[in-house]
Amino acid sequence: MNSRIRWIKDLLWLIFLFGMMAAFFRLWFGLGATTNLSDAFPWGLWKVLNMVGGVALSTSGFAVGFLVYVLKLERYRPLMKPAILIAFLGYGSSCLALLFDIGLPHRFWHPLFMWNETSFLFEVFWCVVLYFTVTLIEISPTFLNRLGMVNSARFLHRIAGGVVILGISLSCLHHSSLGSLFLVTPQRLHPLWYSPLLPIFFIMSAVGAGLMVVVLAKVICARWYDPESVYGTLPAESSASICSLDGLTGSRAPQNSRAKDIPMLVGIASIACWVLGCYLLIKLADLLVSGDWKVLLLGRWESYLYGIELVISVVIPVILVANRRTRCSPTWLGIAAFSAALGLALNRVDVGIFGYFADAGAIYLPSLLEWALSLGVIAGAILVFMFCVEHLPFFERAFERQENVLGSAENAFSNVLRVPDLVLRGGLYRLTLITVFAIPLAWLALYPPYTQSHELHSFVKPSLGLDDLRNTLKIDGNRSGVFTGFPHSEHQNRLGGASSCKTCHHISLPGDKSTPCSRCHRDLTRDTLIFDHFLHMRTVAVREELSGWYPENHSCDVCHNPAEPKTSASAKSCLECHRDDMTIGNEAEVSLDLKYAPGFECAMHKTCSVCHASEAKRLNRPALSECSTCHPTLKPRSDSRRATWAKSALLSQDNPG
Amino acid sequence: MFAILVDVTKCTGCEKCVEACVQAHDQDLRKAAVDRVTTKDGLSANRFCTVLQAEPGRFARKSCMHCLEPSCVAACLVGSLTKTPEGAVVYDPAKCIGCRYCMLACPFHIPRYQWESITPFVMKCDLCIDRLREGKVPACVEACPHGALSFGERQAILDLAHLQVTQTDCNYLPRIWGEEEYGGTSVLYLSDVDLGCMGWPADKSIPIPEITDPLITRTPHIGLGVLAGLFGLKWIIDRRTLLMDGRQEAPDPEEDATGEVERDE
Repeated sequence: MNSRIRWIKDLLWLIFLFGMMAAFFRLWFGLGATTNLSDAFPWGLWKVLNMVGGVALSTSGFAVGFLVYVLKLERYRPLMKPAILIAFLGYGSSCLALLFDIGLPHRFWHPLFMWNETSFLFEVFWCVVLYFTVTLIEISPTFLNRLGMVNSARFLHRIAGGVVILGISLSCLHHSSLGSLFLVTPQRLHPLWYSPLLPIFFIMSAVGAGLMVVVLAKVICARWYDPESVYGTLPAESSASICSLDGLTGSRAPQNSRAKDIPMLVGIASIACWVLGCYLLIKLADLLVSGDWKVLLLGRWESYLYGIELVISVVIPVILVANRRTRCSPTWLGIAAFSAALGLALNRVDVGIFGYFADAGAIYLPSLLEWALSLGVIAGAILVFMFCVEHLPFFERAFERQENVLGSAENAFSNVLRVPDLVLRGGLYRLTLITVFAIPLAWLALYPPYTQSHELHSFVKPSLGLDDLRNTLKIDGNRSGVFTGFPHSEHQNRLGGASSCKTCHHISLPGDKSTPCSRCHRDLTRDTLIFDHFLHMRTVAVREELSGWYPENHSCDVCHNPAEPKTSASAKSCLECHRDDMTIGNEAEVSLDLKYAPGFECAMHKTCSVCHASEAKRLNRPALSECSTCHPTLKPRSDSRRATWAKSALLSQDNPG
Repeated sequence: MFAILVDVTKCTGCEKCVEACVQAHDQDLRKAAVDRVTTKDGLSANRFCTVLQAEPGRFARKSCMHCLEPSCVAACLVGSLTKTPEGAVVYDPAKCIGCRYCMLACPFHIPRYQWESITPFVMKCDLCIDRLREGKVPACVEACPHGALSFGERQAILDLAHLQVTQTDCNYLPRIWGEEEYGGTSVLYLSDVDLGCMGWPADKSIPIPEITDPLITRTPHIGLGVLAGLFGLKWIIDRRTLLMDGRQEAPDPEEDATGEVERDE
């Protein structure tokens, strides 16, 4: 095995391990914490790229099957096996990604038994399940032969023709239905991508790009394992592609006849390009007829994206394949195929994600974890593909060469128990190293939950309601979890009109979004007071069984005179509620005018400190009359121990220590 | 078939309906209050009902419209969403697999998902179906202190709405939102301002299942047709190759194979 393939495999393993870590996090933490999906974008990368795009790129199985089994174009038969392998792995990886995408993965079997025949998704589900079974039947003879079960393989081979045709009709249904999925959003999907012809667009582009994927796979595998089959020159020459270009452009028949697979690939690519060309024409005709070309001319970013998508998916491949010089070069053919595949993926992402940006008024960017799982699943599929190519006769010559390189793969499948040994041979230490390296890295890189974009407590938003004309905001001014009405213009007027903004908005503390209410309404929150306004709000709300969003917000009138501004002057006296708490001060009630509190501070001092002073003398406990007894933070720096002592003395009156 | 009529001119935006809705569904008032300010339109998995501002001083309650031909019901692949005879579109969490296609399919962006949950479900207004079956009206209608919401048989409600549009001098626009949009809804709006902000289409649009139904009902026929066509094609080509077998060998592999080969065959 040459070192380049080994490095590619290591890289794929790394991506795959990241994907598995992402899958673990997704199952452990749930969808919301690990993805950037939201109510505005319920469908994200996993569904659009892996499911809709991945399935579309796996059309090769049925398209090549149509050419070989129905049209009897025997020259394409060598591509049948790899095409089916691509289809099998493509569908398998798509379903795997989808399993992580659905909210309740353990219920993936529900559509088998719970039917809704009016749903396109239902139809897609059934067709995908059935077609996956078909690809399994189609692909299994290769494995069965290798395992020595020749009779079963022969039986499956005999029914292959019928199975392939069944597979073709299933594919026709679900590839078009994948497009029909988006027919339900005429008012949400951008008009450039929405069209009643979406099902036709989807199946045509999928067939074209799916055939191109076979070409791509063949070219890449040939580069890795069997350069002669497409380059037709000795592998020792470094500039292989240029040589083959020179060799092939002279005449229709290549001078170097060893590049035997090139005509086959060109044939497939030409068919693909005819399909893609028709797709482009229908698409443009639809644009003209529906009048959406006006939208294209608006010059928004969607127009450019639409153009780029069409250029990548159709124009570049068609030009490269139509040009005789480039189409005979495997490298250019590979570029054309890659461009078509990339263009198809872009088209699916456009229809499934970008097309909804304008309607949602928001942007969806997949989280790192979504990318990791998405790419990890694809990397896993490529790894399995490489394994199959190396150890099973999918590309005959490549397999033979690889077998010679590996030396002893001959009986690899005669004993199933040796499979793990085969996987790990020569790579065990490398794999261990990669795993040890990848898992902590993936953990660090992907660890959820991601912080949501909205910051809960620094959010000011115009409220609705009766007060709207008074410009009332609903704010959580003190970041205490209690939202309250904030008449903004009243505050503005009171503070001096238009020039008063800076009173609140430019004295922010670092990290704060705006001045808290308590900055000005200090009576509520002054930390030198023993009186806790918020505590009173809460307890009063509970005691009076108030209701509503915030029961606290309705508690004002319990203590304050509703007709007056809510100041300490309009508040009840403490004794009205706390009569029982002040057993020793009952006689003071007569002497002090407690019915109308003269002022908050004054009221407090009159109600409490007079008694405290007399009681301190009577009980010989001087701490009772200390300021710090009731103002725990008043003198903490100078004499914290004394304050603490005073407090404990107050609490345990029986045992003054 | 019941319906709610929302009179936008009477709504003051006090959100008493939302409070009642949250309490009727045993949800957390605090979470609902936070979602009011953290979500775009005030709808979330904790809040099935919200009040939007159409214009300064004009408010409208927004929740599931309970379409007569609901797109979500047609879209759900396991039949988790159903339209009941009472007119409500209700959700059965026992069937749901969490594909979220209903959220994509809804033209009003109504269904919400419990994103923060490990086992999330779709959440939406159910027209208080349990209360309806007990013979009560929906909680929001009961709670509205300004009489902006009326509830009754859909036809009676429509008649009432038409009567109000023609006979009162409240400057109502001559349109009852929900009468024909998307095939008609069970939540109807009377207004003197435009309600485009709520997701209503500018003109009368056809129900979404009407776009998809012709295709989906023909799908089995299309599939069988393709199958039969393919077998026929295979038979013809098999026979032709059999007849040509004596004369001609397999086509020259060097031949430039383009789309024409399909026709030549």
